[in-house]
Amino acid sequence: MPEKAIDPIHQFNIERLMPFHVMGLDASFTNASLLMVIILALVSLLMLAGTSRRSMVPGRLQAAAEMSYEFIANTVRGTAGQEGMRFFPFVFSLFMFVLLANLLGLLPFSYTVTSQIVVTFALAGLVMTVLILYGLVRHGTHFLGLFVPSGIPILILPFIVLIEIISFLSRPISLAVRLFANMLAGHITLKVFGGFVVALLGAGGFAALLSPLPLIGIIVLTAFELLVAFLQAYVFAILTCVYLNDAIHPGH
Amino acid sequence: MRRRLDALSQDLSRREEPRSTPTSSETGPSGLGQAVGLGFRVTSEFVAAIVVGGLIGWQGDRWLHSSPLLLITFIALGTAAGFWNVYRLAMKTGGK
Repeated sequence: MPEKAIDPIHQFNIERLMPFHVMGLDASFTNASLLMVIILALVSLLMLAGTSRRSMVPGRLQAAAEMSYEFIANTVRGTAGQEGMRFFPFVFSLFMFVLLANLLGLLPFSYTVTSQIVVTFALAGLVMTVLILYGLVRHGTHFLGLFVPSGIPILILPFIVLIEIISFLSRPISLAVRLFANMLAGHITLKVFGGFVVALLGAGGFAALLSPLPLIGIIVLTAFELLVAFLQAYVFAILTCVYLNDAIHPGH
Repeated sequence: MRRRLDALSQDLSRREEPRSTPTSSETGPSGLGQAVGLGFRVTSEFVAAIVVGGLIGWQGDRWLHSSPLLLITFIALGTAAGFWNVYRLAMKTGGK
């Protein structure tokens, strides 16, 4: 039993809160689903409450809502241009979801949804699907010009096209793996440091005197994790914009 | 009241103008945060391209029974794509 308490992977266990099976598929309501519902509720609450009383001098909630709006609007305009604002609701939802998932995951006893690669890959797949569909609808076959840069000698063109295709295919993977790996690694590190405190205390004697050291480490790491939680959401949003920019203006 | 509000908003937008132009090119959170974010991007884009190349090569080999020809070719191509990704990122951030 004590083994299990220190197990740093245990936090990622998925527990079925409400078992539910449909046609052989396990669609149970799990602790991860619960967290996602909470995230959605919180985002909706923030935006609804923040925009309900449009006062001249914003209150705390309104300021938070306006700040997040402006931050993402600036990011979208800066990377994808004015035309990219068409995708603002999409990018904003992605950003808020990832940000709150990362931040809520830092609370004790909660669950980090973004530490599951299924979730991050689903998000990345959604981004790529939207991008490809929009590119094809908007530009037709011209969208495939994304893979054929201009001004390349015909001799090495097939080579470049292959490289471009691999580079394009690597986008959803880099998008998904980065978010997943950062959250997973950060949370495991926190748990391992927590395990150090317990182990040192348990060892007693001189070792017990050392036990505050990893505790300080945890405090520093938690601050760093806060930064990473925000940064990963930001990077996810800005990369979505960069990729959308390619779909809006193919053929650089 | 109306006129005062209009004057105020005009004043605000005039004051907003010079502030928004320099920050629009770098909407990042802060100097350090932006650098760390860029680092994350560069590493993951580089690694992901190689992984994708390796996966294509591996599966292609299994399909065509040509092991290890395709694996080697596509890992090389993936590495090239990784460098290409990083180069493009560097060009984009440096050019702005």
